[in-house]
Parts: sequence; C-alpha cells; structure tokens
Amino acid sequence: MVIVVLFVLLLPVLIRDINRKYTDNWLHRQKDKVLQTVRSQGIEKYIQNGEGFGSYNALLKEEYVSMDVDSVDRSLDTIVNERRLVEGDTIQYRILSHNFRIGKKNYLLEIGKSIDTINETTAPLQNIAFEILLGMVLLTILADQFYSTYVLRPLGRIIRTKLIGQKFPSRTPYRKVVTSTTDFAYLDISIYKMMQTIENTFQKEREFISNASHELMTPISIMQSKIENMFGREDINDEVKERLLEFQRILNRLKSITKTLLLISQIENEQFLKEDHVQVGDLLQEVYDEISIRLQEKNINCEINVPADWELEQVNKFLLFNLVFNLVNNAIKYNKENGSIWIVGAKVDKHYILSITDTGIGIDAEQLPHIFNRFKKFSKSLQQDSFGLGLPIVRSIADFHRIQIEVESEAGLGSTFRLIFPDEALKKEK
Amino acid sequence: MNVLIVEDERALTTEMELFLQSNNYLCETCYNGATASEKIATNLYDFILIDLGLPDYEGLDLLKEAKKHNPEATCIILTARAAVDDRIKGLDLGADDYLSKPFSLLELQSRMQAITRRKFGLKNAIVALGNFNIDLTNRSISFKDIPINGITKKEFDLVAYMLLHKNRTLTRSQLSEHIWGSLVNDDYDSNYIDAHIKNIRKKLNVFDTPDWLETVRGLGYRININS
Repeated sequence: MVIVVLFVLLLPVLIRDINRKYTDNWLHRQKDKVLQTVRSQGIEKYIQNGEGFGSYNALLKEEYVSMDVDSVDRSLDTIVNERRLVEGDTIQYRILSHNFRIGKKNYLLEIGKSIDTINETTAPLQNIAFEILLGMVLLTILADQFYSTYVLRPLGRIIRTKLIGQKFPSRTPYRKVVTSTTDFAYLDISIYKMMQTIENTFQKEREFISNASHELMTPISIMQSKIENMFGREDINDEVKERLLEFQRILNRLKSITKTLLLISQIENEQFLKEDHVQVGDLLQEVYDEISIRLQEKNINCEINVPADWELEQVNKFLLFNLVFNLVNNAIKYNKENGSIWIVGAKVDKHYILSITDTGIGIDAEQLPHIFNRFKKFSKSLQQDSFGLGLPIVRSIADFHRIQIEVESEAGLGSTFRLIFPDEALKKEK
Repeated sequence: MNVLIVEDERALTTEMELFLQSNNYLCETCYNGATASEKIATNLYDFILIDLGLPDYEGLDLLKEAKKHNPEATCIILTARAAVDDRIKGLDLGADDYLSKPFSLLELQSRMQAITRRKFGLKNAIVALGNFNIDLTNRSISFKDIPINGITKKEFDLVAYMLLHKNRTLTRSQLSEHIWGSLVNDDYDSNYIDAHIKNIRKKLNVFDTPDWLETVRGLGYRININS
C-alpha cells in the first residue's frame, strides 16, 4: 500500500524526468542531423555572407533552429531551459547549444523545443501511467480475493470445523480437511493431535471420576449394609440402635455429598443425553407434588403460572427436574412461615423466562456472586442440614442446557431466580 | 428362592447374604466372574445379582451368559460405576433392574419382590391390615369395602414399603431413601417422613385407628402384622 501511494506521489516527477530525457535525446538527434548536413553540404547551405540562419515553425513556434558565427571563442555543448524572443513572443524553450568549428570560424548551433509542447505530452503520459497503475491495483485486489477464497479456503475450513465450536468430549470422528497444500494438511493434523491430547485428558478425568466413585461407593455400600443388618437384629437393644441411627445419618450425608459431586462431574463431562420433550407445566406440577409436603410444613403458598403450550425440546428431564426441584426447595427452605412462592413463565423481549420468587430471607449483595460456588455456606443460612451443593447442581444443569440464570435478591425480603431458556430449547408455538 | 450373588467385595457379599437369608432366600455367592460363569452354566437360579465391576470378567458378558443358561432368572445389576450408559446397556441386554451402589438392602429386596410380582402376574395382591385393605396392584387403600380417597402417591409408597418390610423398624433415613432416593439434593437430613406419616394417620383415622402403624420412639416406624 505504502509503495503504491509513494508511486502515485512520485509519478509526475518520474514522467517529467522521462519526458525531459526523451526531449534531450531528440535534440541531440536533431543536432547530429544538422551537423551531418553541414559536413556533407558545407556550412554555406545555412550561412551565407556571414548572415545567421534561423528557422522555426511559423505559427506556434514550438521548435526553432538557429546557426550563427559565435562571437565568443568557446566550446559549448549544453541543454538548458531558457527564454528566447521569437518575433515579439517570449517563449520558454529547452535549448541545445552546440559549438562547432569549420575553418577558422566558431559556429553556434541552437536547437530549441518549447516547454509548453513538452508539457503537452507530459500530461497524457501521466494519465496513461495513472490508469495503468489503477488497473494493476484492482488486479492485485482481485488476485488477493481469489487467493483468500480459493487457495486459503482449507485454512478457513480448518478453523471453522476443528477449532471453533469444538466441544469435549468430541463425538465426531476425525475427518481430513481436503487440501493439496502440504502446510495446511500439516496444520490440520497438528490441530487434530492437539485436540486428541485434550480429549485424552478429558477421558482420563472421566475415568478418574468413574474409578474414584467406584472406590468411594463400595465402602459406603458395605457400611450401609452392615448398619441395616444390625438394625434388623432382635438381640441388639434400642439404645444401641439409636446410636446406630446417628451413624446412619452421618453415612447418609457422606453418601449424598459423593453422589452429588459425582452428578456434577457427570454433567460437566456431558455424560447425559438431551433427548426428552418436557411440558414445562407438567414438570412444575411434578415438582410441586414432590415438594408439597415441605410447603405444607411451613404453610407456604405456592402459585404456578406458566403458559400451557410451553414445551422444551432436546433436554434431559431428570436433570431439569432436579434443577427446578432444587430452586423451589431453596425457596421453601429459606422462606418464612406462611410465606409465598411464585413460579411464573413469561416471554420478555423474545426470551422465555421462568422466574421463581420467594418471600424468604434473601441473599446479601456481597454474597450474591458466590452463591453458585461449591461447598459455599453462608453464616446467615438458617438451615444446618445442607452442604452447599444445591446451587452448584443448579448451575451445572443450567449450563448443560445453555439456560442462563439471573438472581435478584434483597436481604430480608426475598429472592428471584430467573431461568432464561435458549431459543432452540423451546418448541415454537404453533 | 435361589439367589446367586456375584460380587467381588467380600464384605458386601456377606452382608447381602446375611440379609437375604434372614428373608428366607437361599444364597450362593461367588467373588469372581470365572466361578460365576461356571455356576450360571450348571445351576438354575431365580435371581442373579451381578456386580459390573468384577476384576476378571466383563459384567455385561456375564449378563449375556445368564440370559442364555438361566433364561428364567431375574437379573439385577449392581454397580458403582458412574457411566450413565452402563445402565442403558445393562437394561438393553435384558437386565430386569439396575441398582447403583450404595444401595439399601431393603431397596434390593423391594425390587426383587416387585419383579417377582410383575413376572408371575400376582393379582389380587391385597393385604389386610386391621380393618384396612392395601391393594398393592391397584395402589389403593380401602376401609372394609369403602375406598379411601386422597392418599397421595408418596403416602402409598411409604405404606407399601413398610408393609413389604413388615415387623421391621424402618428408620427415617431408610424411608426417605426409598421415596426420594433418585433426587439429587442439597439436604442430607431434612426429614419430611414424620409429616407424611402424620398425614397418613389423619386420613386413616377418619375410618378407624391404624394401630398397626407403630412409631418406634427414637428409631422410626414399622407396620406390625401378627401372622
């Protein structure tokens, strides 16, 4: 680009230079011709009786030739721009002056060409050059376009298919990008190898989770069975059984934590399918049935208002149920006696939003950013019997379904959790 | 009923055996796939409980063998493996049920009975409790001949579970594991069992006192049947 600009700027100078050289050459040629004539036909052809010779184009005085005896003894051979007075007109000429000697006399030959004529040819030349240049620039742009769309097409394809939108675990097998360029093929295979390394790491993590859970679940299973068998025995008295009960509760806690962590890992490793159709209203009713005993215990009023035609596609029902269950469960757990819960589905600015609002204790503003962190418990939390994994599950399930969560809360007044569904999850109304 | 337990974890095998024997099952145990494979090929069982995580054998292969040599047997897969598609694969290969570890022995027995009932098409599975009749097939409770409305699904599940494990005290943990076991949730201790029992009693008391439903102080609940 810089080169092109430089070239355009220098163009007039260059053209002028070329033109001047051309003119100078022409002048030299004319001089040689005159000298030849002088040599072959004698100086008398031009100068007779010591009278100088002068000739010019009659009308425009573009060119002129003059020959005379030089009064000064010198040996000039120059080309300069000078003014000459021709028949009353002062005209700027480019003049070749040349001294030559014949006999004892020194003669001066001058051949001139008017600067105007020279410039007259300069302008069209400049234009032509400029047009050629423009053409070349256009040609370069076209060539670039061709290069990037055709020759570089494999690169774009590699970026599109192999880098952007790459998900783990990748379920599609490796497919070579069609290219005849060795470098692209090399890039393709390199990216593939890199992705495989990442994939392997994921695979190892999955295996680790699977193995770790096996190793943890088996001892828990043994303990649970032992306790159950002891409960069933008649020869163990109730006092011992009451202590066993404590044991069982602690074991249950361990079991819940392990199961929950495992579930989060499984979700994050995409080990669940998204193949269910879910009627949102039905799902909420199921959650309500499941949870009604808890509402009843605290005498909480729960209102559900969701359009009947809301239907989700390509979701995992089990996970969605757990998502909603945990949110509603929290809305009960942190609510006041005789409080309220509103579950409302609404379309806001083209987005489908399910909001769950409670009249509970709310969340402090400084705690709000941390509520989705694992094992985060808040001192204000009224309940002692939670381990801080409820909202992390919610977050994992929401992310898995690309559902956005927004939380709004005011301490002492209550909280609102908003689930914003992605467009593709919602079956469009007919 | 003959049960084959295939489980490499000996301590767990022992507990399962103890429990099932006390419930009148005849148990055989083996700790590896090779022995299990032989036993499956030579003996006939009513139940085969297969752990998928055997050290020497692919548990799903064992399931295939069981389906071949013991087509009548009820196969239940036990596993601690996390992979979700294992469950699908297992059920595809003809397993009758799937229990993930850690499971409750009570739950195991309840699943075994449910499958038996389904397989042999036991109709009129009606159990009399005092003046009440519990219909396990239609999942309803009636007082003499009057059907009792308003018993929720959860409430019936609780009664049925206690009835299955009659004369045995069930702790709140065991009961909540049965009715809320598949839920993944933040509470490890919250107990709404008491509320459910209270509701059941309230609904039944309209007709008669359900004195067979006993609260065992400090421990839990149980249904008493003197047979």
